[in-house]
Formats: sequence, structure tokens, C-alpha cells
Amino acid sequence: MGACNRMERDSSDSTIVSDGLLVRFGSINALDHFTVNVPKGIVGLLGPNGAGKSTFIKTVLGLVQSDSGGISINGLDPREDALAIRDMVGYMPEHDCLIESMSGVDMVAHFGRISGMSKEDAIPRSHEVLDFVGLGEERYRPTGTYSTGMKQRVKLAQAIVHDPGILFLDEPTNGMDPLGREEMLELIGRIGASDKSILVSSHILQDMEKVCQHVIIINSGRVVVQGPMRQMLDQGKGRVHIKVRGGSKALFSFLEALRGRYSVESVSDEFGQMTISFINEGDSGPLLEMAAHAGVQVRAYYPDRISLEDVFIRSMKEVA
Amino acid sequence: MGIDPIGYKPWNGRRTEHNRRFLVIAENIVWERFRSKPFLVLFILGAILVHVFPLIFYSIMPHSELEADLMSGYMGDGLFLIFNITLVSLICADLISEDFRSNSIVLYLSKALQPGRYLLGKWLGAMVVLCLFTLVPPMLVATAITATQDGSDYLGSLAVLGRTFLAGAWTALLLVPVGLMMSALTSKRTYAGVGAFMFLFILTIIAGVLGTFSSDWQLLSPIAVLEHTYDFLFGLDVSNVNSVLLVPMVIMLTVPPMWIVYQRILRKGVGK
Repeated sequence: MGACNRMERDSSDSTIVSDGLLVRFGSINALDHFTVNVPKGIVGLLGPNGAGKSTFIKTVLGLVQSDSGGISINGLDPREDALAIRDMVGYMPEHDCLIESMSGVDMVAHFGRISGMSKEDAIPRSHEVLDFVGLGEERYRPTGTYSTGMKQRVKLAQAIVHDPGILFLDEPTNGMDPLGREEMLELIGRIGASDKSILVSSHILQDMEKVCQHVIIINSGRVVVQGPMRQMLDQGKGRVHIKVRGGSKALFSFLEALRGRYSVESVSDEFGQMTISFINEGDSGPLLEMAAHAGVQVRAYYPDRISLEDVFIRSMKEVA
Repeated sequence: MGIDPIGYKPWNGRRTEHNRRFLVIAENIVWERFRSKPFLVLFILGAILVHVFPLIFYSIMPHSELEADLMSGYMGDGLFLIFNITLVSLICADLISEDFRSNSIVLYLSKALQPGRYLLGKWLGAMVVLCLFTLVPPMLVATAITATQDGSDYLGSLAVLGRTFLAGAWTALLLVPVGLMMSALTSKRTYAGVGAFMFLFILTIIAGVLGTFSSDWQLLSPIAVLEHTYDFLFGLDVSNVNSVLLVPMVIMLTVPPMWIVYQRILRKGVGK
């Protein structure tokens, strides 16, 4: 009861809320007291192979039954309202899953109808979503003849054909060339911009960094860390780097002035160029004035950000 | 390829009811089968060999009414039954195996479609296609015989016509579960097709061998089961059949295969 109330409170700004979710396959805990709040927007679900990403998605879809704990999707419980949830969810699986004898347009229309669209609605809508994902005349060919990129596009098209409010994308850029990856990420961004909640599972962290607003990192069936992407990457807490160039006297004069005003953490001097790391939570105006006053040239000024890969590796090491 | 700068458009249509969506699967199977050339060739060949000749022959031959033993004999004919077994193998071979192989089962089960409804859609599709061979032509033959009868007992002929309908549907009902089971046990359509044919055929051979010891063993044969149930459906004498064994055999050919298919679908749904 307590868990339910807490979930109801938390679900106001969340799409999916799970509280102490336990899913066991024999003696293995695929999800081990998995507690997570998936907010609206584009959310990255990251984790090594076997971490429990697919199990979580299948539990949300009601394909896998949980042993204990609570889970709700837009306030609905997949154990009781699996069909209603699946109507509001679109799923793009990781692996090949296309009906190879069907053409792209027929397949998308077929799954549109299975998702509850009438024949009259499904055919024009499937053309519409195939236009959206960028599949041209190839849509009339059997999907068995498609390249990996085309298959990914059709998989995305079948997931959005019935206009779901929530999308689960499992490795959407898997096997795609760099251009195809960029286009897929752009599509995800566009779908996300139309007030959809998208849960993207991927191990290509650069892709996740580009497109996600929120990150959930899981390992061994547990949530390791979760939070907004910006907050995750801004681990420096005001730490910035400045590169300045000038005569040695001017450089040391600038460094002294800097030390007098800010907390300088490190300095490196290479051939008349100095890189200084210090804490500045304010704006850069006074700093530039100091540089001008000391007679040094500012070549670069940037915050200390870490990549998602750093966050991921650090999280995994902490767990280990 | 490439992306045109078009935005995502929502869809605001009305959804169909959950419990009617299996019909989409069934409808798709019917269209797919009749787009398949090997199936069409076999279907047409079978229709000519099995149904067209009896239709012409029985209609021309003088007769006073449509008789139950004539229809039972016609539907229990060896050629008809062999074509039934061949067709059920061909129809069911890729119905589930192909979804397992291509992993499209995951897409089906991620939609608002329960595993049972998915199976119902596959079963119904196979039933409709097979009934087009086992039910519609015998009904046409029976109708033609009734239309050309000399006697005035049309009511009696109509009763046999109704029994023919039941026998046609029953043929599909008995054979489809085995075809679906073989399709669910493998992810290769060839294995499924050959497996279904061999399962039904080998049981018939074993029944033939063991039948020399006791006639009860004959009931191991699906063909014998069909023949005896035709006699029952047409109201003929079945006193020589061990009905205590016939009923379990009918159950064995229908219930466990469908249960196996359902369990296989459930397991695939969770990724096993």
C-alpha cells in the first residue's frame, strides 16, 4: 500500500515508475529490487549486456511477470492492464524482427491494424510514417531484401504507426553507418519533440549523449545511477579551463591575479601558453577583463565536462 | 533514402476492439496462401482430382436423394485424405515457424494482442484456408447431387448436406493442430511441413502394422480417426469402432498439440 501511494505521488511527472521490482528467471535475479522513475522526454537506458534492460522493457510491456514490487506506466499496472499499456506503447526491438516476405508498407500497415487501426486508416498512415522515417520506393520491396539501415527505419515505422505516447527503442542505431545513425538520432529527436516519452536503450554512448535528456544506468538488475544528462555530464561543479598566451611576465601576472580571486586547481605552462583550471561559478566577464588588464590573449575558455562514457565507466567501477 | 524535413504527425483515429484484432492475422494468412503459387497449384490439382470428378460423376449417375454413406465414402476416400494431409502441412508449415525464425513474434506480442489471440488468429487462418478444400467442395458436390436427385425427399438430402458441412469443418479441426504444433516446434518451415506430413503419415503406417494384432491399433492412424468420425457424423453404423479409444485419440490429436503451441508462444514472448 505504501509503495503504491509513493508510486502515485511520483508518477505525476514520470512515465514509468517502478518500486522494488523483482523479476527472477530461475535462481537469477534479472531485475533485483529495481526502483526507477522514468521521466517524460528522451531517456537513455544504459547498461552492459545482461544488465536487465530488455527484461525491464518486457516487464513494462507485461510480457514478463514480476515476482514482487510495483510498476506503473502512466498510472496503469502491466499485470492488470497489459493490453491498454501496449496500445499506448511502441516497441522497436534490438534484433531483426521483420516479416521478410512482406513489403515494408504492408508490414507497417499489418502491425498498425494489429495495434487497433482500421484498414482504411492503416494504409495511408503506414505511408505517412514511412515518409517520416525516410524510406522511399523501397517500401514496396520485401523487407528480406533490405539493408540494415532500411530495416531499422521500418522497425521504427512499425513502432510509431499507431501513434503511441511512449516509445521503447532498443538499440535503434545498431548496425547503421554514421550517416544513418545521425538520421536515426534526428528522427528520435523529432519524435521526442512531439510530446512523446522515449526510452532508448543503447550501448553507443555518443549517440545517447546527443539525443537523451535523462540517463538511467543499470547493472546486474539494479539502477546504478540516474539523473538529467546535463547534470550527469557537468561533474566539474563550476570547474573551468582557460588557455592564455602571452609573454612570461604577463602570464605570471595574470596567474597571480587569478589566484587572488579564484580557487586555482592546476596550472600547466607550455611554450608561452598556459592552461589553468580553476573554479568559477559566475560569468566570464571579470575574467576577460583581468586577461586584458594583464596583457594576455585568451585562446580558449570552457567548462570541465566529462563524457557519458566517463560517467558510465565510473559507475560500473563503483559497482564493481 | 534520406530524411525529408517533415514533422511527426499524430494519428487520432478510433481503435478497434482488442478481442477482434486476431482477425487481422487470420485475414492475412488467407491472402498470403492464395498469393503462393505452390499452394495454388496443389489446391487446384487437388480440387480437380478429388472434387471435380465426383461432382460430375455423382450428378450424372441416376440417384433418388443425397445419401449419407455416399458422402461418407467420398470424404473418407484415400486421395482426399492424402491431399488434406499434404495441404495442412503446406498451409501450417510457416505459420508460426517463420515468426519464430524472423523474431516477428516479438512484434506481435508487443502489440495489444494476447498470446492466445495470436494463436487464435493463426488457427482461424489455417482453418479457413483448409476448409476451402475440405468443406466448400464437398458442400458443392452435395448440393449438386441434391439438385439433380430424382426423389422428393429434399429434407433428408438437406440433413446430409448439414452433416457434410460438419464433416468438412471437422476435417480441418482435427488436422490443423498437428500442423500448428510442428510449425511451433521448429523455426524452419521445411522441417515443419515435412514434420507434419511425416507425423500424420508415420502414425498411419504404425497403425497399419500394429492393426494386424488388434483392430483397435488402427485408431492410431489420423486417417482412420477421420474415417470413423465421418461415419459418426453421417449417422452411420459405428458399432465396430472402439469409441472408448476413439475419443482419447481425437483429444490426443487436438488438445496437446494446441497446448504445446501455446506454451512455445509464451516462451518466445519472454525471449526463451
